[in-house]
Amino acid sequence: MDSSIKLLLVLLISFELAFVQSIVVNILVIVLGMSYLLVKKVKLQKLLLLIIIPIIPVASTWSSFYVNGTGDFIHSAWLLSSRIYAYIILGGIFSFTTSINDLLSSLEQNWHVPSKFVYGTLGAFNFAPRVRNSMLQIKTAALMRGEVLHVWSPQIFFKAILLSLRWSDNLSRAMQSHGYAENNVRTHYRKQRIPAWNWVLFITIFGVFQFIVLKKLP
Amino acid sequence: MDKLAINDLTFSYTKDSDPVLDNLNLTIKNNTFNLLFGSSGSGKSTLMQIITGLVRTNLPNLGSGTILINGQSIETWTPKQFVQEVALLFQNPREQFSMSSVEDEFVFTLENIGMLPSKIDSSIRSALERVKMLDFRNRDIDGLSGGELQKISLAITLAMDSNFIILDEPFANVDSSSRKELILLLKELQIQDGKTILIADHDLSGYDHVYDNIFHLYHHQIAALPHPEKTLAYFQSDKDEFHFQIPAENQPGVLHFADFSLDAGSKVLLDQIQLEIPTGYRILLTGDNGTGKSTLFNAISHLHPYKGVLTYKNKEVQKYKTTKLSKEVSLIFQDAQIQFLKMTVSEEIELSLKHARFSEIWSPEFITKNLSLLNLIGFENHIVYQLSGGQKKKLQILEMLMLGNPLVLMDEPLAGLDIESVIQVLDMIKKVCELQKQSLIMISHQLVGTKNFFNYHLELKDKNLYFSERLDDGLFD
Amino acid sequence: MIDKKANIAYSIRDIAFIALIGIFCGVIFFTTNISYNFLTAALTTIGLGPVANDLLLGLWMIAGPLGIMLTKKIGSSVLAETLGGFVEMVLGGQFGAGAIISGLTQGIGTELGFTLTGYKRFGKFNLFLSCITGTIVTFIWSYFNEGYAKYNFSFLILLFIARLVSISFFDGVLVYWINQLIEKSGIIRRS
Repeated sequence: MDSSIKLLLVLLISFELAFVQSIVVNILVIVLGMSYLLVKKVKLQKLLLLIIIPIIPVASTWSSFYVNGTGDFIHSAWLLSSRIYAYIILGGIFSFTTSINDLLSSLEQNWHVPSKFVYGTLGAFNFAPRVRNSMLQIKTAALMRGEVLHVWSPQIFFKAILLSLRWSDNLSRAMQSHGYAENNVRTHYRKQRIPAWNWVLFITIFGVFQFIVLKKLP
Repeated sequence: MDKLAINDLTFSYTKDSDPVLDNLNLTIKNNTFNLLFGSSGSGKSTLMQIITGLVRTNLPNLGSGTILINGQSIETWTPKQFVQEVALLFQNPREQFSMSSVEDEFVFTLENIGMLPSKIDSSIRSALERVKMLDFRNRDIDGLSGGELQKISLAITLAMDSNFIILDEPFANVDSSSRKELILLLKELQIQDGKTILIADHDLSGYDHVYDNIFHLYHHQIAALPHPEKTLAYFQSDKDEFHFQIPAENQPGVLHFADFSLDAGSKVLLDQIQLEIPTGYRILLTGDNGTGKSTLFNAISHLHPYKGVLTYKNKEVQKYKTTKLSKEVSLIFQDAQIQFLKMTVSEEIELSLKHARFSEIWSPEFITKNLSLLNLIGFENHIVYQLSGGQKKKLQILEMLMLGNPLVLMDEPLAGLDIESVIQVLDMIKKVCELQKQSLIMISHQLVGTKNFFNYHLELKDKNLYFSERLDDGLFD
Repeated sequence: MIDKKANIAYSIRDIAFIALIGIFCGVIFFTTNISYNFLTAALTTIGLGPVANDLLLGLWMIAGPLGIMLTKKIGSSVLAETLGGFVEMVLGGQFGAGAIISGLTQGIGTELGFTLTGYKRFGKFNLFLSCITGTIVTFIWSYFNEGYAKYNFSFLILLFIARLVSISFFDGVLVYWINQLIEKSGIIRRS
């Protein structure tokens, strides 16, 4: 399935889940989503991580409703906890089975998102691995001058902005040196067409989901 | 016809600043091999960015003069028009790639110039074949060396079909053997493919039989170099002048390595090192780019993990708390701005004074003396981020030295400083380090003016780290 | 800088800049994640987990107000937050696909503070407004999404106050301080 359609589907269902008051629907999303990931041969390790990561927020949500909830607080506790898992599985469906490159080129070619948004974001993404290292450098550099930077220190953000500025300047210069201009007419080497069956599947899944939601399951 | 004709070019970055280029004239003939010689900071980069359209001179009050490429004024060219006539290779090739793989960068570039999709594949293949890099098509940018990246950059200019190739200090991040290889490749492109080449370099070694013209950028203007042979010979001979002692054994050591290993990702940088670094000396650390010199510094300062034993003052480095270690080891980062924490020069000095280990040494007179040695007098109330590159570097070195940490690590502190500043800075470092009994290890490619400054020389080569008497050939890159 | 007219003409440099700020803020947030999880875990045992969440929400949202204060572009807060949520989802954060939608609502929340005055000013007052709108909009979203509707009233008040405090500090005071540093340093002389 085209990655932009997949993202749209994942986002629409996630949005709707916020208003659905059914534990069964959440569990259905979790089970079906997990099955999809298994069919797509996503590594078990990754799936396991998907289950482990949200344990703290899930536990926190559950206990909080147990203590502070009103009405059927047990239902609320399970509803909101299972919702977190549904979100994370939906996120996994997108991030484990598509690539940023595919999504961005589909957005450029099919949805006509201006190329500057596509390549500006893509360029920034490619810097992501360097960001963590730079943060460590910023903190150590300050420590070496006798100052500790905390998350509430303006300096830490100031330095991050300094680097963001420099990197975005470099990036736009680099792109320009390889012929990029915002109003260029660009050609597309890898065509990303959305086949008709994608839309059929999209409407089917979304339709079935509405049908299930309207059932008012517990 | 002339490939490039520049007439009376004047340019400054802001209205109030001094011009970087002042009434500059330059003519380059078609299908020639040209060198642009000049010290760091002389304006070579600015000139090259103007010629390739990355810096535009037609903003009011900033520039004047005319630039013609193939007889046409470049004033109204679009980025696409530029790259099809003239291509630029950056000093740091990593900064020229915005995609994550070699193929993606090619595709991005060729889509930008509107190449038909059906032609893109063959164009990538023939360009990579031309520089003998076909195997690299599906590689990630991250794992490539500086030399490999420059070859890919060159292949991209071939795919864009630019006839005029401009290279801005292209070997700054390239090891010496790749440097030779690239120079030969460029010569081949000139002779066989009819390209016009212009290389900016502050080091003229290795160009002996390849160049047609050497231009000298000096005092914001260009002149032909009067005695090119002499200058070339100077770069050759200068390397032979360095000779170092090997430290005597059984001296008290500041750093001790035993079975010490260092990796970066899957790459082994240092393997099973046994070494004792004696305390209280100024030590030069050299090695080709990408061999792991900066990573070694990072390992000493808790910025990178290591294996084996590394002790500082007889205690394992990893066992120190980072806050404690940072009161012992100062790392002077390549990027000066990362180390600033205040706004003005005097606030910065004040902060260092607050944490100075030997505050009695840093009397107002002594501080003033050092500031004046560094030509920073009169800048006390200036915003540090607005200082020139050289001033930032000098301030950073001073404020880090003021802390008086027993071990100082400097990563390329002389890069980009003019020769006069190099001498001032080294003079200050020497005096201050002796006063505070500090040990210094300095990574530097820039060795002009450093004669008699270093006590010893550490070389990092073939995953080994050892004291060495001589400099490796071709270090002046 | 303060009264420069806002516009919507993004350059590729602006977009990369906003995206990078989003990524940096994400990393800053996650380096505090360990302490966050400790705080949450401790509060969870007494059923106050969401309070930790709300106390840190302001930090999580900081890319939005920073983006709009620094670029003065219409929509930059929404852009920064949505991209931030997207990055969070792709890197496998604990909120999954919900992160994008939450990012969007947070971006809209802080953006509104500037929209209300027609993007004419980018000073203290607007930051103040954007903290208020940010708190209200995100709280409405949590009312549905995180089931706040089902809490008892006093707990709801506690959560609201925690969120208001957090957003006022991180997205108001801290952003103001950062912006002052930026203006003083003169590093943003972008044409």
